[in-house]
Amino acid sequence: MKPAPPLLLLLPALMLVPVAVLLPGLMHGGGWDLIGQFLLAAVQPSTDPVVVNALLRGLGVTAGMALLGWFASLLIGLTAGLASSRLLWRTLIGHSWPAEVVRRLLAIPRSIHELIWGLLLLQVIGLQPVIAVFAIAIPYGALVARVVSDLLDSLDGRNLEALLASGSAPPAALLTAMGPPLLPGLISYGGYRLECALRSATLLGVFGLGGLGNELLLTLQSLQFHELWSGLWLLLAVMLALEAVIGTLRRRWGMPSRFSLRAAGVGQRGRELVLAAALLIPLVFGVGRALAIEPAALLHWQALPPLAPGGWSEALALPWPALVLNTVLLTVLAAALAVGVAPLLLLLVAPWAWGQRILQLIWAIGRLWPPPLTALLLLFVLKPGVITAALALGFHNLGILGRLLLEGSEATGAQRQEALRSSGCGPRIALLYGRFSGLARSYLAYGAYRADVILRETVVVGLVAGTGLGSQLNQSLSAFAFDQLLLLLAAYAMLTLLGEDLSDRLRKRLLQQ
Amino acid sequence: MNTTGPARSTLSSQPVLELRDVAVPGRQHPRLADIALKLEAGERVALLGPSGAGKSTLLAVANGLLEPAQGEVRWDGISRARGQRARRRQQARIGTLWQDLRLIEELSVQQNLNCGRLAHWGWPRALLNLLLPMESEACAQALRQVDLEPHLLNQPVGELSGGQRQRVAIARLLRQQPQLLLADEPLASLDPRLAQDLLQLLLQQARAPRALLMSLHRPDLLQGFDRVVGLRQGRIHFDCPVADLQGAELDALYAGALEASSAR
Repeated sequence: MKPAPPLLLLLPALMLVPVAVLLPGLMHGGGWDLIGQFLLAAVQPSTDPVVVNALLRGLGVTAGMALLGWFASLLIGLTAGLASSRLLWRTLIGHSWPAEVVRRLLAIPRSIHELIWGLLLLQVIGLQPVIAVFAIAIPYGALVARVVSDLLDSLDGRNLEALLASGSAPPAALLTAMGPPLLPGLISYGGYRLECALRSATLLGVFGLGGLGNELLLTLQSLQFHELWSGLWLLLAVMLALEAVIGTLRRRWGMPSRFSLRAAGVGQRGRELVLAAALLIPLVFGVGRALAIEPAALLHWQALPPLAPGGWSEALALPWPALVLNTVLLTVLAAALAVGVAPLLLLLVAPWAWGQRILQLIWAIGRLWPPPLTALLLLFVLKPGVITAALALGFHNLGILGRLLLEGSEATGAQRQEALRSSGCGPRIALLYGRFSGLARSYLAYGAYRADVILRETVVVGLVAGTGLGSQLNQSLSAFAFDQLLLLLAAYAMLTLLGEDLSDRLRKRLLQQ
Repeated sequence: MNTTGPARSTLSSQPVLELRDVAVPGRQHPRLADIALKLEAGERVALLGPSGAGKSTLLAVANGLLEPAQGEVRWDGISRARGQRARRRQQARIGTLWQDLRLIEELSVQQNLNCGRLAHWGWPRALLNLLLPMESEACAQALRQVDLEPHLLNQPVGELSGGQRQRVAIARLLRQQPQLLLADEPLASLDPRLAQDLLQLLLQQARAPRALLMSLHRPDLLQGFDRVVGLRQGRIHFDCPVADLQGAELDALYAGALEASSAR
């Protein structure tokens, strides 16, 4: 009695049942009129030039921070990725142990969310435009490094051996043998990272690090929903444009899609690639000047306030089991909701052509709308807690997983769906059997990876919804209790590494069968 | 109503499939023009013609996938239903054997066979079939009808050999129990022995009240068909009993096909 792939795809949605049961108990009665006003304001955003100008300025700052953070993360990631490649070390010195050391070290910056990096830098060097850039660049760089080294080490080493055997110098041999096959995967992943950077920069703004996010938070807190929606629609336009450009370039340059399980082909149109790279550098410097970025500011540390009395014993006395349990629960709940609801919604709207368009719009809003703002909105009607936080986090990730599922389902199974339809099947069952069968395993494998990202992201809603390690982290940060902070970060890092390992195993099992 | 067998209703006096004056425009010459074709219950009709003659287009029209720009298609004397449900009931009576089979590789043989019944099942059964494959006895019987062992029922389709898959696809058709059987060159990529076997299987299944319309890539497989229709540049060239088919007509059908197809 093993569920077949399409059914497997729907299983995570079972998490909706306990949520639906518990939800009525979480409502505190009031606030529905505010939600109504918020929804109504979507169709009448403010067009006041003062508001729009302020929002556009904020958007410019956010986009600039995203671009710079992304660019820096590529530089960091490429360097660190090479340094953690087993293949590279073996080629250069004959041993691969330095790669293992670098890999372990890189797990630390990777396991800490960009928001925490941002808040830490804020405490240490004060409010500077450069903070947001590096808050993005540090964890992203470590993520890129992992992808680079994994890609490198999964390549066939025989070309390299052949070049070395014929007497080429190792660096030249590496570049020749490994550069071309590495490039497509790297560019595809890099493009995806730029989309993420825009989302992260918006999020950092919500926490006061500058840009549009800040404006969004202020308009929400002052209940100026019309102005809020002006900002949201602007952000949506920019994000959809960015996604469209990246998608077009990915197809044009022959890069694999993120969802594809096939190996990457070699990228085409090399001249365009070089041109794009050459244009990027002056752009980055221009944006850096416009935002008054001073990398040197990173070196000027502020004096830290003295530690509170009580010290370590107080830090150890924190309710650790509850904190960890809440965080894990939040992750599982948000991940199951995001993974399970996407196919369910697609099935629901299958009979209507416009249904998919509406879903795409809702998902796009989910992607760009920072989860803490969703949590704030939910707090109008719900009490704070794990479920409220999970709903906010789940909605954001639903936007990401939903788009992926839709892209995947457009790429596979069209004929089988047509065959089922033409033998009289209903549209929903034809979608379930015809398209979801082929998609289920790779989608769930991606979901497992996403759960791992969600674990890192719990900190973002934890700060608002008052639950888990995230909220404790915020309290310790604002109390300058660096001993607690250190322990909390270590707990977070351990949890993330554990989760990474679990999701890796799950993914392998899903893809093997 | 009998839902397990093709309806032996009072409609049997109507042709199973009727195309009246059907036309589908194309870029250089029409994909189909002036098509008039009738299939009575029990008739087995072969469709011949060089590639590009419009065989697949004609089958797509017969299947309902393609709505012709002009003319009318009737199934059991009824034209294309407008309501969603009525249209689905109509489609459930049209079974197609696709050239690429269109089996669902990730599901078991039994689950694939049951795809033939999905049109009649509601959500609960369709979902349950993904957990506990349903109607084992009927599925086993369908397998036996195509000379496959019932122990294959639990295997994923992805693990079957090419010949086995062809048979599973036919067994799925049997589960659907359609009134009109359509097949688009199902034998094109098979070795001669296998092609002969499968053809016999299909012909056997196409007894009254069913009718069969099958496009063929080779004129030497005509044995067992009642009628043969020759298609050339979207028009019907001849439509006669197989026994009456003259060698000269066949030659004329394929004459210049090579130049025509290379000129396109």
